[in-house]
Parts: sequence; C-alpha cells; structure tokens
Amino acid sequence: MSNAMRTPAGAINVERYQGAVAEGRFRRVWNANAPGYLFLLPWLIGFFGLTLGPALISLYLSFTDFDMLQSPRWVGMANYVRIATADPKFSAAMHVTLTYVVFSVPFKLTFALLVAMALNRGLRGLTFYRAIFYLPSLLGGSVAIAVLWRQLFASDGLVNAALSQFGIEGPSWISHPNYSIYTLVALSVWQFGSPMIIFLAGLRQIPQDMYEAASLDGASKFRQFYKITLPLLTPVIFFNAVVQTIDAFKAFTPAFIISGGTGGPINSTLFYTLYLYQEAFGNFRMGYASALAWILVLIIAVFTAFSFLTSRYWVHYDD
Amino acid sequence: MSLRVSRRNFMAGGATLLSLSALGTSAFAQEKRLRLLWWGSQPRADRTNKVSQLYQSKNAGTSITGEFLGWGDYWPRLATQVAGRNAPDVIQMDYRYIVQYARRGALAPLESYMPAKLNLDDFDKAQIDGGSVDGHLYGVSLGANSAATVLNTTAFKEAGVDLPTQATTWDEFARMGAEITKAGKRKGMFGLADGSGGEPLFENWLRQRGKALYTADGKIGFGVDDASEWYDMWAKFREAGACVPADIQALDKNDIETNTVSLGKSAAGFAHSNQFVAYQAMNKDKLALTNYMRIKSDSKGGHYRKPSMFFSVSAQSKAIDLAVDYINFFVKNPEAVLLLDVERGIPESAAMREVVAQKLDENGKVALAYVSGLGDLAGKLPPPPPAGAGEGELMLRNIAEQVGFGQLSPADGGKQLVTEITQILARG
Repeated sequence: MSNAMRTPAGAINVERYQGAVAEGRFRRVWNANAPGYLFLLPWLIGFFGLTLGPALISLYLSFTDFDMLQSPRWVGMANYVRIATADPKFSAAMHVTLTYVVFSVPFKLTFALLVAMALNRGLRGLTFYRAIFYLPSLLGGSVAIAVLWRQLFASDGLVNAALSQFGIEGPSWISHPNYSIYTLVALSVWQFGSPMIIFLAGLRQIPQDMYEAASLDGASKFRQFYKITLPLLTPVIFFNAVVQTIDAFKAFTPAFIISGGTGGPINSTLFYTLYLYQEAFGNFRMGYASALAWILVLIIAVFTAFSFLTSRYWVHYDD
Repeated sequence: MSLRVSRRNFMAGGATLLSLSALGTSAFAQEKRLRLLWWGSQPRADRTNKVSQLYQSKNAGTSITGEFLGWGDYWPRLATQVAGRNAPDVIQMDYRYIVQYARRGALAPLESYMPAKLNLDDFDKAQIDGGSVDGHLYGVSLGANSAATVLNTTAFKEAGVDLPTQATTWDEFARMGAEITKAGKRKGMFGLADGSGGEPLFENWLRQRGKALYTADGKIGFGVDDASEWYDMWAKFREAGACVPADIQALDKNDIETNTVSLGKSAAGFAHSNQFVAYQAMNKDKLALTNYMRIKSDSKGGHYRKPSMFFSVSAQSKAIDLAVDYINFFVKNPEAVLLLDVERGIPESAAMREVVAQKLDENGKVALAYVSGLGDLAGKLPPPPPAGAGEGELMLRNIAEQVGFGQLSPADGGKQLVTEITQILARG
C-alpha cells in the first residue's frame, strides 16, 4: 500500500495541488484528477448504485412493513423489537450460525496452515499442487458441489459405504438433525484454498536465517514452529481469521441447496442468511428481513471490532 | 505504457456506447409483445413455447417471450419483478398465492372479458370459483389435479403384496407397508414414505374427519386432538417398520427427484396426479397412482379436484387484451391443448378434455383415469389458504421431524403445531 503512494503520478498531483492559488484551485485539482475519477467511474457507479444505495434503502425498509407488493408503511422499531423479544426462529438461526462459525473457522484455518506448511518445503511441482489444493475453493460455492455433498453424506452415500467396511452402520448424516450442520462444516473446511494461498505467501516471507540460527542453537522443529513461525505469521493468521469469520457468518448456498431451502431437518441447518431469505422471499416480509440483515451487519461489525481490539495482544508486526 | 487514449477519444467512445445502448430499447416497440413467466421443468417449457409459436403464427405481429424457473426460485423472482414494476404480462399463479397477489392489487380482474373474449362456458363452475377472489376472476385454471399416492407396483409384486384399492384404510395400508419392509427384497427399501409432514396428506385426513386445515375466514381449522392423533398414527407406522425412518424421510426436499419412491427408499410415496408422467420418467419400475387411504372403510371426501395452476394477468400489463386472448387460446384451442397434453393437469374445458383423451399416451391416461375416478373420495374445493399458509406447511413438517427423531411426543407435537399455526396466522 505505502509503495503505491510514492508513484510519480502521485507526486505530480501533490505539486500541482500545492502550487494552486486560492481562486481556480478546485478547478485545477479537478483537472488534474479527473482522468483518475473517470477511470474509477465504473467502480463508483457500482459502489453507489449497487452497494451503498440499496444498503441505505434496506435500512429505511427495516423500519417498515414492506411486503414487495404494496408500498412500505412506517412501523418504527417494531421489527427490531420482535427480533429481540418474540422470534424463536431468530435465536435458532443464530445458534446454527454461531455453531458453524465456531467450528468451521478454526478447523479450516488449521487445515489451511498445515497444507501450506507442507507445500512450503521446496516441493517440486509446487504450482501444480497449489492449483490442485485451491480448486475446491473455486468449486465450493457452487450448486454442483452442494449436490455432491448430499450424495456423499446420504444414507447410502460414499461415507457410509466406507464406514460399513469397518462394520459401522452410519445414519443419513446430511438429513439427521444431530449431524447435518457438521457435514456443512466439513464442506467449508474442504474449501481451505484461499487461506492456504495467503498462508503460503506469509510463510515465504519469514527469513530463513532465523530458522538456521535456531537450529544452530539446538531448537527442535516444534519449538521453531512455536517460537518463530507462529509469531511471525500472526498478521496473516489475523487477516485470514477476520475474513473467514465474516464469510462464515454470510454462508448461504450450501444450506439452501442441501436442505431445499427449508433449513431442515428441524431447523438444524437454518443459517441466519437462510432464515433472512425465507422471511424476505418466502413470506414476503421484506421489512422484517431488512431488519434481520442489519442485525447481521451489526453482529459481524462487533465480531470484527473485537478481533481488532484484541489483536494488539497477540498479533506481532515486525516494526 | 504504450497505449495512450486522449480524453477526447475516451469521451467520444463513451458517447457512442451510450447512444448504442439507447437504440436497443426501442427497436421493437411497435410490435405487440407479451411476456410470460411460469414455474416448471424443461418438458413443460417445451410444450409452452410450442403453444406460443403456434399463437404467433396465427396472429401476425405478435411476439411472445417466456421465462421459466423451478418452484422454489419462481416466487422470489415474481415478487421482485412485481415490486420493481416489471411484472410479466401473463403470470402462472398457484392456489396458495392467488389471494395474496389479488388482494394486493397485483393482478387484473378478468370477468369483464367473459364470455366474448374469454370463453369458460364449459369449465367446471368450482374451478372458475377457485380462480376468483372477492367476486372477481383473477386466474384461469390450466388444469385439474388431485393429491395422490404413487405406487411402485414392481416392488409390491416382488414382496408378494397386493396393491391397495379405493377401499383400503390407513391401518391396512400400514400393514402392507410393514410386509414390504419385512420381505426385504430390496436393500434399504421400506414400505411407505413417512407422510406425517406432508400437508396434502394431513389435509386429506382432516377432511375425512370433517375438519379442515384452514377455515374460510383464514383461521385454523383443526384442534390439538386432531394433530396429536395424526402424529401418533405415523409414530406407530414408524415403529412397526411400515414407513421409512426419520433420517431417510428428511432427504425428501418436496420434489419429484428426492421423493423416497424416486430414491428407491420406499415402495409407496405421496405426490400430485399431474406429476405422474414425470415420476414414471424417473423410475425404471412400473408405477401406478392411487388415492390417499381412508380412515375407516366408510370415510369419504378427503380428496378434491384442485386447479393445479392458473394463468393470471398482471395489473401492470400494457397489453391486457392480448394477454386474455393468449390465455383463451391456451385453454380453448384444440391444437394448443394437444400440445400441452395433461402436463399441467386435466384440461378444465369439457370439449378440450375430450380432444386430449383421444390422443393420450398410457401415462397420461393413468392421471386422467385417476382424477376422474375419485368418486366419493372427492369432496368440495376448500377455500384458498390464508397468508401464512406457506409457513404453516413448513411448521407441520418441522414438528413431524421432531416427533420422528424422538425429540417430541406425538401429543406435545400436536399441541405445539396448533399453537405455532395460530401464532403464524395472527401475524399474517
């Protein structure tokens, strides 16, 4: 980031800015920067038209009873009050989503780190393996994989076929309320590709001479990992944890496909986003769903803020 | 960087693009256009598109475009388009949603076009009423169907069990199911699907007891005793091995592909008659249709002939006349009706029913014979369900699963169902 600031183009702009006299100053700055904004235009239109605009409208709708067919009517805080006091499905959905976040994020990051470390040992054909391991992340969000998952974990799926070799007769994992959420956790862990790539880049940046010095002093491999790799990797771990947590809160497709949009059996896969979707498009309660969406924004913001606040106690930046 | 674009060039290019895109919008404005939207599978789309082509060839200058989605994706899309003032002219509508859409002013009333432009003279009166809300006609029924039991006759034969008849009771049917399970001719196959979470089944059973799911004024139409007894009946079936266990039933996503009959998990399952052709296409074994069972040998009136789907016209449409003419063509033109077959249900027009009957293939005849042969099993069409009925359906299934997985007793399940549905209806 900081490098980009020092580009020649930036320097010219600053000079022009400083040289500008009070009158016509805005104009000259504008003239200097207009091409930049022009090139930003597609993104700006996208951001204001497709992200910020709809977000603000949804904030307004969250205080109404909008049902998509009739014009919205102001209801004040009613939607939020109901969420907080009288909606058992909200707590059910929150419970499912938190379970998913708590299990999928640590497992996924651990798995990604292990694979990244295995790949970081000067393997031949590294690019090939990297591509192979990244593949699930590209496919993971797709409908086809969610369907495949159904086949794997159904009563006569591959998993039970393997278990039966050991004389174990497994239930239909994907449609049993005690296990269904964990099949979705497994699906998420399997898509470890993008944190892995970032870990790999992080591992590459750790100076090799530290390890050499440590081995000369007789530090074991485990100690080297614990004392050198982990601390120096904490900024990357932090970044991955924040991004993956946000992603996990927003998970939707797998549960939608696997449960046919019901969140069943018995609400065991009723992800927060799925409940929001049901309210919005199944029951036409767009106002209520907007309120749910803003609660989710708030929850994610709190989690992220909390991560940043605690980060200074465990994240080591080398400056 | 060798590529240099001057600002003037850039602006000129942008202006050209803008003007080009503006051109695209008005090129076909003078043609008479209709947009259709429906749910369904590819075969339905093929039939529908052929009818549209036929209509265009007979009406020069018209252009009919259509779009289709699966049931689950259809309703969000339709609601979004209506809310965005971009509704299709002709909308495929379901009995469950017609009241909601009509009362909110999204549909155009069509009774003023009858009988000159929209001729429903030889329609069943009850089916016209089914498309009416508050005295206005908002939907033209595209066909009748009824809930039905799908039987895998091959599996019944292998197990040495006779097929049920119109006189079979639920208890007898459960004994048949248990025998099939016990015969164990096919690995992992049980006798029946677990129907405890199926709304059409529960409704049929309630109607035989003289109750209903919902009353005409949108209240709950059954009590705790009814619901508890219902869950209890299926708990006993489950215990006896007559139907699939809960974790198998939970694989069913309420579509043809994941019904336990299609999955090879049960020899009998529960569906709708117009789906029979699709079921048979998906199963290698020989299938048959029969009714839902009787509670006692003399109970009756559980079934009803239901408009399987309607065509409605959007109130936003700028071509309502054309849309009405197209719908009239769709349900009354012999060539169109032959193209459509009984895929959307049995034609409502008596004349068209005869046209279709002569050309039906074997599977089509099964559905036709079933719907027209219901006899005293069929009763009156219930009033359209209130808003919130969709949530009620999910709740019936949710609690059925809790009972199935042993988390709730049937008695508590019944109590909870009545409480929850009462709350859902109060919220609207």
